[in-house]
Amino acid sequence: MTATTDSLATASVGSRRMHWLRLSWRGLKRDLRAPDVRALFVALALAVAASTMIGFFLDRLERGLERQAGQLLGGDLVLEQSRPFDDDIRQRLIEAGLTVGEQVDMVSMASRDGSFQPTSVKVVDDTYPHYGEVHVARQGRVERLERGPAPGSAWIAPRLAQLLDIDVGDSLRLGETSLDVTGLIEREPDQQGGFGSFNPRLMMHLDDLEATGLVQEGSRVEFELLAKGPPEAVATLQDWLASLAAEGVEVQDVRRDRPQLGNALARAEQYLSLAGLAAVLLAGVAVAMATRRYVDRHLDTAALLRCFGATQRQLTRLFTLQLLWLALVASMVGAGLGLAGQAGLLMLLGNFLPMELPPPGPVPLLLGILTAMAVLVGFAGPTLLRLKRVSALKVLRRELDPMPASAWIVVLMASLVFGSLLWLYSGDLLLSMALLAGGLVMLILLWAVGGLLLNGVLHLASRLPGGAYGKGRAIRLGARQLARRRQASLGQLLAFAVTFSAMAMIALVRGDLLTTWQAQLPADTPNYFAINIQPDERNDFTSMLEGAADSRSSLYPMVRGRISAINGNEPQQAVPEEARGDNALQRELNLTWRRELPQGNRIVAGDWFGENSAGDWLSAVESSSSGSDKVVPISMEDGLADRFGLGVGDILTFTIGSADISGEITSLRDLDWDSFRPNFYVIFPPDVLERFGHSYITAFHLGSDERELQNRLAEAFPGVSLINVEAILERVRDLLGQVTRAVELVLLLVLLAGISVLYAALIASRPMRAHESGLLRVFGAGDRLISRIQGAEFALLGLVSGVMGALLAELAAAGLYMGWLDLPPRIHWALWGVLPLGGAVLIGVIGHALSRSVRRQTPMASLGLLGEA
Amino acid sequence: MSYSEPVPNRSSSNMSSSSRSNATPILHAQGLGKQVVSGDRPLTILRDLALSIAAGESVAILGASGAGKSTLLGLLAGLDTPTAGELSMFGHSLGKLDEDGRAQLRAGRVGFVFQNFQLLPTLTALENVLLPLELSPTVEAESRGREWLERVGLGERLDHLPKQLSGGEQQRVALARAFVTSPSLVFADEPTGNLDPATGKRVIDLLFDLNHESGTTLVLVTHDHALAGRCQRCLQLDDGRLAPLDLDEVKA
Repeated sequence: MTATTDSLATASVGSRRMHWLRLSWRGLKRDLRAPDVRALFVALALAVAASTMIGFFLDRLERGLERQAGQLLGGDLVLEQSRPFDDDIRQRLIEAGLTVGEQVDMVSMASRDGSFQPTSVKVVDDTYPHYGEVHVARQGRVERLERGPAPGSAWIAPRLAQLLDIDVGDSLRLGETSLDVTGLIEREPDQQGGFGSFNPRLMMHLDDLEATGLVQEGSRVEFELLAKGPPEAVATLQDWLASLAAEGVEVQDVRRDRPQLGNALARAEQYLSLAGLAAVLLAGVAVAMATRRYVDRHLDTAALLRCFGATQRQLTRLFTLQLLWLALVASMVGAGLGLAGQAGLLMLLGNFLPMELPPPGPVPLLLGILTAMAVLVGFAGPTLLRLKRVSALKVLRRELDPMPASAWIVVLMASLVFGSLLWLYSGDLLLSMALLAGGLVMLILLWAVGGLLLNGVLHLASRLPGGAYGKGRAIRLGARQLARRRQASLGQLLAFAVTFSAMAMIALVRGDLLTTWQAQLPADTPNYFAINIQPDERNDFTSMLEGAADSRSSLYPMVRGRISAINGNEPQQAVPEEARGDNALQRELNLTWRRELPQGNRIVAGDWFGENSAGDWLSAVESSSSGSDKVVPISMEDGLADRFGLGVGDILTFTIGSADISGEITSLRDLDWDSFRPNFYVIFPPDVLERFGHSYITAFHLGSDERELQNRLAEAFPGVSLINVEAILERVRDLLGQVTRAVELVLLLVLLAGISVLYAALIASRPMRAHESGLLRVFGAGDRLISRIQGAEFALLGLVSGVMGALLAELAAAGLYMGWLDLPPRIHWALWGVLPLGGAVLIGVIGHALSRSVRRQTPMASLGLLGEA
Repeated sequence: MSYSEPVPNRSSSNMSSSSRSNATPILHAQGLGKQVVSGDRPLTILRDLALSIAAGESVAILGASGAGKSTLLGLLAGLDTPTAGELSMFGHSLGKLDEDGRAQLRAGRVGFVFQNFQLLPTLTALENVLLPLELSPTVEAESRGREWLERVGLGERLDHLPKQLSGGEQQRVALARAFVTSPSLVFADEPTGNLDPATGKRVIDLLFDLNHESGTTLVLVTHDHALAGRCQRCLQLDDGRLAPLDLDEVKA
């Protein structure tokens, strides 16, 4: 008997739970007829779309990097240096149980029928690739191959094929040899992120390398040993690897050195995340606004249900469940949008991605749902609590509304939740707190500026001429409407202004920035670099340039050497902590020697090498090769010295080949990195470095009518690499375009979120608007006038947002110009025209369309609406 | 009848029947008073009010505008608390219950008809009728809702929203909603106050028909003597107290 009652009880608890789930679901479905619930739904879906779009994309990237680290690196262990590896190093790796492959990287000129293109050459052997596959297209079909090109043949990037007008089956020349093109490279398994190589790829077999004659002493060539094997095998080599690293070999271990995304991509990631969170924030504001109306409307429902006997708990359960359903369904829709969005991002950024990405995982989806819930709790929670406190007596006495939540509590709660979201997404508590605090300060500032702007425009609008029935009347009345809803207007104004300015900034970065920077360079700024000029080619090369190139820099010898000690200490220990990761410490520097101070350089400390001390250097060199620690004077670039905390008198030791040379800083130079001339961190006096293998570098300018000289040079000096700066800049512009388009895609979501704020604000003010237009109609205003007034109201809002957006964008641009590019800021007139006008049209049209349903009501209904809620 | 949260002794109160007029009154008030603070000074709306309504009775409470009719209705329905006196509903003293307790006491047993209909604008006619049934799992709720809408003559307009219905139709939806739970007690607050006389009469005819058919106790608050005259008993609210009113006198 007891058992029976018990089971009955549990059944009824279960069915009661089901009842509430069903009930709330049904409640939500019919509630979707109300615009405030639709606004909530749209805002939540947008928040989820923004967070999942970025989330899916970054998650796939992250997991891709993690899984394919070995593939991206090219092996489990990679050694790299600027000269060939000795056989005993290779032997040692093989003895440890590793499979070893060899690879050589360099930039060289590929040619066909007298047309030359610089190409980034990758020379591989039969072990290539250790991991993954090369996607090669031939005869219109993409094959996935676990090998490199066969001896005698080359695979090239489609871009190179296009530039040289070449196809599979043709042959091309590289240095002194000829290779058959047998495939077009669609994807390399070990391609490191996109910005790294501006020149198109050419892949060839190691057996053909010698025949090219490209590897000569002093040429810029990187030799790599790629080893594949179990971690234990690599672990046994740790000490030996450390000693190799100390000798100047760059050692990369897949377990310690996870491949990183390229700088540009990492930056793009940050922008994407920030823009995504901005969309979430705006959606949150929309949720807060829509919730006010939702609660106002549901106060009656709650009061009625109280009348019918519902307890507070039942009400809480009902509304909570209903909103949970809403959040869940919105999350699903949002996640669908997010999935589509990340596919779009992938399409736009595909060129940068070093690998194929794993399919989207479930984590971002869960994060998206969590985001929706958090936004709901944070931005709607305090307001929703009113529903619970409603009195049943309200059905008899309308004025008995529970007190609305205080604005401070709403803002505090929203800040808390948004701060937590920032933390969750960035993983950095301090940064999140700083962003939040900065954001709040910014908000107050913008609020003040926006208020002033709004006042100004409203003041102007109120003084528009046009009499009682002229065209100015609609604008005057519209302005008055805006002023009446000042707080809500200001909120929308800020949302749109920030969105507009972000979009304008993106457009500026893409279009204006590079162009402006390029335009300020003198017309004869060198646009070609020639590297790998051998000492015996030096004079012929110079004389061929003479008379043809209208401006050129001197020829500089170039020797590669690594900083191996600073003042006798380990370099990493001798520099300030923030400089330890500096690139100049990681790899070999290009060193040169010179008697005179290079053109465009300026001594800022110490003195340039004196004429008469030449004898001292020579004796120093002689003694250093015999083991003494005599030092030569060197000149260092001011910026690097500053980063390393060095000054005149400090002593640097360089490892060049197998020899060490120490130099005392006797001067610091300031130089212009934008000059497009060969620039050097460290310059030695003459007669010190000559004994090391070296090649020459120079820069020159070719006018557009002198381009055929490029081909003549390439033909005469097959080993010399000519690099076209303009082509590289063009490529940078392309890549920048792709990145900015990806950010734009996210900004589109931000704009949509901004529009959802407008929609929510409209809905919140709907009863009041309906009442106002009802009254106006009773007083004799026609449809057209009311429609115009509302159009004018939103157009004014868009106009002010545009002005403020232009102001913000202009300020940010000025900061960029002065801080980054050292250019005087200039005013972008187009911005001041396009943003306000575009804003007025966009917001005017959207606002006008969204408020159509209010206008359609008869005055009776409009006037009744306030009472009827 | 539907069951929701357990209420003490509720089964006894379900046996409402007009023949048991001598048993425990369905509503009983003794020394009831209500004072509110208006501005700085206290304002007495009801004082030392006594009332007893038996199951199955129909009682009209008459009063001029501002006499405190709505306040009294709120107290009797347990929507509000008195400042003095005793009040019991279905034999339970309301003074001992908090707001949630009073709500549970009402659940499924009390119906309401309001002057301004109080239909939810985003719900269809049928959904509005189903609203009180939703508080607890009810078998065949929907068919009951349809049945009741048919009884009030709106069987064809189940899916119409309130704004698509006339005032009279809206009030008929409200009537269906008041009776759909088979309540023991129905409160009606100026049910014709927002309707024209002809429509109002039809609604009132319907209200009394339904009341009669289901043997429900009806408490009707109005200022309309003709309307009050249709109840079995009339009470006049004057100066915060209730006084019986002769039916014939009212009808005359």
